[in-house]
Amino acid sequence: MFTGIKKWLEVRIGLDDLTRTQLTEYRVPKNVNIFATLGFVALAGYAIEVISGIFLLIYYTPHPDQAFRSVQDIMTRVPYGWLFRQIHIMGSYIMIAAVMLHMVTVFLMGNYKRPRELTWVVGGLMLLVTLTFGFSGYLLPWTQLSYWATTVVTSMPTAFPYVGDFIARLLRGGDYISGITLGRFFALHIAILPPIFLSLIALHIFLIRRIGISATPFGTSDEEKRPLTEYKKKTYPDGLPYYPYFFQKQMLMVMIYVAVMFFLITFMPTLFSPDEANTPANPLKTPFHIRPEWYLLAPYQMLKLIPNKFLGISIQIILVGIFLLWPFLDSQKEKNVFKRPVLRGVFIFLLALWGILMFWGRY
Amino acid sequence: MRYLFISLLVIFTFPSFAVGGYKEEFEREFMSKPWAGEQIEENACIGCHVSDKMEPKLKNIPQNWQMSIHYENNVSCHDCHGGDPKDPDMSMSRQRGFIGAPKYTEVPEFCGKCHVGILKNYLESGHGEALKKTAKGPNCVTCHGSHKDEQFIQKANIDIINEQRCTKCHSYERAMIMKQALFLTEKKIGELEDNFGRLKKEGVFTADDEKPLFRTHADFRALFHTVDVDLVKNQTDDFAKRLSIIEERVQKGFREVRFRQNFSGFLLFLFVGLAITVFLLGRRSE
Amino acid sequence: MKRRNFLKLLFAFLGSISFASFVYPLVRFLAPPGIEAKTKKLSLSKGEIPVGSAKNIIFNNTPAIIIDRADKGLVALSKICTHLGCIVEYDRAKKRLLCPCHAGVYDLEGNVLSGPPPKPLQKLPLKVEGETIVIG
Repeated sequence: MFTGIKKWLEVRIGLDDLTRTQLTEYRVPKNVNIFATLGFVALAGYAIEVISGIFLLIYYTPHPDQAFRSVQDIMTRVPYGWLFRQIHIMGSYIMIAAVMLHMVTVFLMGNYKRPRELTWVVGGLMLLVTLTFGFSGYLLPWTQLSYWATTVVTSMPTAFPYVGDFIARLLRGGDYISGITLGRFFALHIAILPPIFLSLIALHIFLIRRIGISATPFGTSDEEKRPLTEYKKKTYPDGLPYYPYFFQKQMLMVMIYVAVMFFLITFMPTLFSPDEANTPANPLKTPFHIRPEWYLLAPYQMLKLIPNKFLGISIQIILVGIFLLWPFLDSQKEKNVFKRPVLRGVFIFLLALWGILMFWGRY
Repeated sequence: MRYLFISLLVIFTFPSFAVGGYKEEFEREFMSKPWAGEQIEENACIGCHVSDKMEPKLKNIPQNWQMSIHYENNVSCHDCHGGDPKDPDMSMSRQRGFIGAPKYTEVPEFCGKCHVGILKNYLESGHGEALKKTAKGPNCVTCHGSHKDEQFIQKANIDIINEQRCTKCHSYERAMIMKQALFLTEKKIGELEDNFGRLKKEGVFTADDEKPLFRTHADFRALFHTVDVDLVKNQTDDFAKRLSIIEERVQKGFREVRFRQNFSGFLLFLFVGLAITVFLLGRRSE
Repeated sequence: MKRRNFLKLLFAFLGSISFASFVYPLVRFLAPPGIEAKTKKLSLSKGEIPVGSAKNIIFNNTPAIIIDRADKGLVALSKICTHLGCIVEYDRAKKRLLCPCHAGVYDLEGNVLSGPPPKPLQKLPLKVEGETIVIG
């Protein structure tokens, strides 16, 4: 029966040709490592978020009077609601970790260089969209933590001299966080960002397939002649077939990813839930420690440190610009990061700085 | 070129570490604007009472109040003292119901505007009769304090009954007997309240079950104000029954938490198994 | 090769259990809540309510009160205050319900007249069938 179905499809879409070109004859370099799977892991993480999010959507009410209560009901009264909510919360945090790890490994392997600059730029935009997903979703449970963390983060644009106030009011829908804010953040989170993100994903994957997977710079030397002056897809005629070799690696990493998620759900379910996360939002009372989400702690701490807030936010914008446009700023031909001690040093320093700022911002 | 740029940026952030007072600066810059902080309701009472025009003992009132349980429950000046908090001219006007600070013997009725059930029991009690007949005797403030001097009204608890306080008028012996009669029930209620807090932290929200607990606690406290040890002892069993029903709900909540842990642990185990299987499938004897 | 087959079987086995352990919660999650077990209705005869007065009853383990309002007929209200859960008391003279804990005041419709309660008292469904009153 199975072969019957395959034959039926073969006549209509040329299934054999499809599996041949996309799976078995699509070859990856022999020394491909598991870090190359991180992009796929991030994609799997996003799929988990979408699915769990859709199920939560069924019971969530996006109105300030009812949002908190609806989330409480999901946690307590809906059968297994707690499971989907925990998956969504933990999933979002480890997805961001996976995305950042993916970015770091791509950077270290120099895979943003010609001809892959556009892939990096699209990826950078995807990171920003992911952070916006996190930031908009954070407000939705309408807890003390959500309300005040969002207040702090939406105050940050006010550092701009003329347009700052306008931007902040646009984000919030007013002078302070209210039901209007909840409405727009909700729309952002479920309807505006997903199509944008999906288009970026499609573009990113298209670019990867069209340009060809890059060779890892370690071990074998890079055979691409530089500078490249015409289009040539990178192929590996004596590499390993994507299916089953690389596919198996991707599956392994996804299983590990999901296992990590369930580890957190089982043994540390309250890791991201201090007391304020279980109290409904009260616009009249600020809790003692307001902090944004962990992935925004470093920028937040930096803003606190730099005495002039305009300088602070400008530096952050510049840093984001540098990050997005890095492939155009780094024109050295050498891909292997071990042969570039200065870059390696600066990068590790920046990473450490980010980590220190993050932990500092926590307290 | 880019390294120079980046290094310059990094170097310039270093001096900022040395800038002291950054936190206050940040808070001043970001959090003081009305849109960036709490929406503090206009309160004419507080406005005047924190200003330097006030004599010290009146100036302390707002900060004492902010430590109190009334503040935590959004009960402010006009709720007890009357007056109009939005209009400074009418903030102490009799037309808007301002009644000022109550006299010593009028304190029970002052607090009893809201705490109706307790007032009723108090007036029937030995304490209430002492106050009414002799103008001496404990009123609410004697035990619970007020925002005078350095005091603030705390959440009521069993240790308000102590030797220092109760021996102002009589021997501690009878107070001690009462405290003992209350002790077990109060302890149980405290445990249950803690348990509800723990359940909430673990994600099991029990708002519907907390109401009966509050009700029971309130009834018990109101009962105490009769200062009648025999009555308290008689009713202790009833209260114990009410509490055990609530306790069952709490236990159910904890069982739910354990179930959730087990279920997600089971899923974890499955995925670890899957990861191992996929890993082994990937190993090929080359 | 036997080992590979075993591994493939194991994968299929674990995979299907994982799949089932998501499908089962999902089905329970999406299924409509069970029809509230038909709560036992409470019936009493009209005569049990003193004219112009009220009667306390227990309905479904919650304390409630049936009030005979002169102009608007009978009404059944839950006696649980919506503030923090204390039991309200009926004040016949002033035609209102008063909570002894923090002086929440409700009218005979259950609406909040003053005090801290955030919501009106819950109204219980009440039907009059001839000489019998049915709650629920």
